[in-house]
Amino acid sequence: MPETVIERAAAATPAQIARPLRSLSDRALAWIFIAPTIFLLLAVNIFPLIWTIRLSFTNFRANRPNAEVQFVGLENYRRILTDPDVWATMQVTAHFLIATLVLQVVIGFALAWLINQKFRGNDLWTTIIVLPMMLSPAVVGNFWTFLYQPQIGLFNAAVSFFTGGDPAGFSMIGEVALAPWAIVIVDTWMWTPFVMLICLAGLRSIPQSIYEAAECDRASKWRQFVTITLPMVLPFLMLAVLFRGIENFKMFDLVVQLTGGGPGSTTELTSITLKREAFEKWRTGYASAYAIILFVAVFGISSIYVKALNKVKAR
Amino acid sequence: MSATSPTEPGARLKLVSGLLVGLYALITLLPLLWIIATGFKSSADAIAYPPKLVFEPTLEGYVNLFTTQTRQTPEMLAADPPTTWYERIVSEKGMVIAGPSRFGERFLNSIIIGFGSTFLSVFLGTLAAYAFSRYRVPLKDDLLFFILSTRMMPPIAVAIPIFLMFRTIGLSDTHAGMILLYTAVNLSLAVWLLKGFIDEIPREYEEAALIDGYSRFHAFVKVVLPQAATGIASTAIFCLIFAWNEYAFAVLLTSGTAQTAPPFIPTIIGVGGRDWPAVAAGATLFLLPVMVFTILLRKHLLRGITFGAVRK
Amino acid sequence: MRAFLTGLLRLRRGPWEMVASVLIGLGVFMLMQPFALVAFSYSFIVMLAGTVMFIIVSHFPE
Repeated sequence: MPETVIERAAAATPAQIARPLRSLSDRALAWIFIAPTIFLLLAVNIFPLIWTIRLSFTNFRANRPNAEVQFVGLENYRRILTDPDVWATMQVTAHFLIATLVLQVVIGFALAWLINQKFRGNDLWTTIIVLPMMLSPAVVGNFWTFLYQPQIGLFNAAVSFFTGGDPAGFSMIGEVALAPWAIVIVDTWMWTPFVMLICLAGLRSIPQSIYEAAECDRASKWRQFVTITLPMVLPFLMLAVLFRGIENFKMFDLVVQLTGGGPGSTTELTSITLKREAFEKWRTGYASAYAIILFVAVFGISSIYVKALNKVKAR
Repeated sequence: MSATSPTEPGARLKLVSGLLVGLYALITLLPLLWIIATGFKSSADAIAYPPKLVFEPTLEGYVNLFTTQTRQTPEMLAADPPTTWYERIVSEKGMVIAGPSRFGERFLNSIIIGFGSTFLSVFLGTLAAYAFSRYRVPLKDDLLFFILSTRMMPPIAVAIPIFLMFRTIGLSDTHAGMILLYTAVNLSLAVWLLKGFIDEIPREYEEAALIDGYSRFHAFVKVVLPQAATGIASTAIFCLIFAWNEYAFAVLLTSGTAQTAPPFIPTIIGVGGRDWPAVAAGATLFLLPVMVFTILLRKHLLRGITFGAVRK
Repeated sequence: MRAFLTGLLRLRRGPWEMVASVLIGLGVFMLMQPFALVAFSYSFIVMLAGTVMFIIVSHFPE
């Protein structure tokens, strides 16, 4: 007779509660199990979303709750979508996205390919490489500002060690030309392991027999790589790119702590603009419209992501 | 596979791969080691030029992290000599301890909110995942997509109405509010992951239990739950890590009583410039548990971060 | 190509999802491209159309 905690809990359930539960029909049980989840998600996600849509048609300001709220129609959307400054932050976001995705895919895939050579100790190295991904972006991003300090920072010291330059001669987060790269470097450091892990799963899903067959056909290693490895890993890579794309499109915590959007607005990603409009300028109605635009973009890409995900799952 | 297989990588390729990956791993590790090392440096060593690799370790940073201090005249210090090791560290700088800092509270908040939301989301998530896995639920695919899509929303976009909602019903800056919010965010992950784990348990086990006269609910508790225990545990750790690391909601919706550690650690400031050893000490205490969990979880990592899409 | 077109005519899920995905991708590109402000202004409409279409066509039969 196995005595587990769960069994004891089940045995200890009072008969008054246990009996009605036991006699429930399957359908009722299913709904009782699902209802709390759906209810909570409706209350904390969907209800606020509908509220945001409603607010996006008004000039409401959260810091003046007693002021009269006017319905302004599509005015907020018109102002955002014709504003060259908003357009500029979108391009800052685009640069960040392209740079991080390219770096992470190239480094991540290369690492996965190397790890898949099954050298001794690959598990240990993989675990170490994965560490940054699981840490708090805000806390780590904050500490990176210390590594980026001119002169005393470890990053500057390392760069000057390899290039011979003056470690006090440049400031990664203080200079307009360097700041965008400062956030790209930290994001790449943090999230390359994510792409690496997914690529590794892709590489390991390829059956050895395919390579053995190609070897019998005397296909060169390079040809095997192009005709077998790449196409087989591509769906996984697609998944990684979409997921990282969505995450970096809404990137907030890491960059806020690293540069806060500065200097000027050179690293002002779109989430940071939204935060400023909503919680510093308190233009709640305007910010709600902005949020809806971002939401539709993310939701759209998520739909494609889920489609890609189901494809990988079905393999 | 035998060593003579034609597809087995050659010894030289293995060596080169090992060296390159090892090098990258060391570069990855360096900032993390630097955080830990800085926590044990004195303020002077932390901002020394060139950066010091070898230094005399001190607990000054940790003492600064946990206490607030005021400057004191040498006469007063001499009149009331330090009795404990931490008072001695402080008095060497001509300061006395005025009281505990906020860090302890904030750390405790992180623990309360993290564990509270993890428990709730795993509990609700297990029930929902079981139902999605075993029953024919109308609009199942739409509901699952809806659950996943709530996770994809940009936190700042959701934060605007949540901020207003919490303000109206009095939940802003409360533990209950943050637990509820993190539960909702984690629930999507929990449902997707747990559904995958429960899908893998053969239905025959439950059917055998049903034939033995168990009710559905009883079979769920006695057969499915023990089988899914590993999955539930790893899901719980993923939820815990998310709640532990979360910053955007925490910084926008909490300011005092319910503030967690991530928004607090960046605000640690010393006397005259940032006290980097104290920041590093706080970061070390905050990050180490996650590093330990990551090492424990490494077999389930991929599954957790891709919503169960990729198994291995 | 032929199969794609007949799929569209018969309201099959696959090709229509492809059309919606392309529309979403185009909208996102318009949102972030550096070339024309006009394209940026209309990006939202395109993304919204693509997303709504995706939700509808994902209920078409396979």
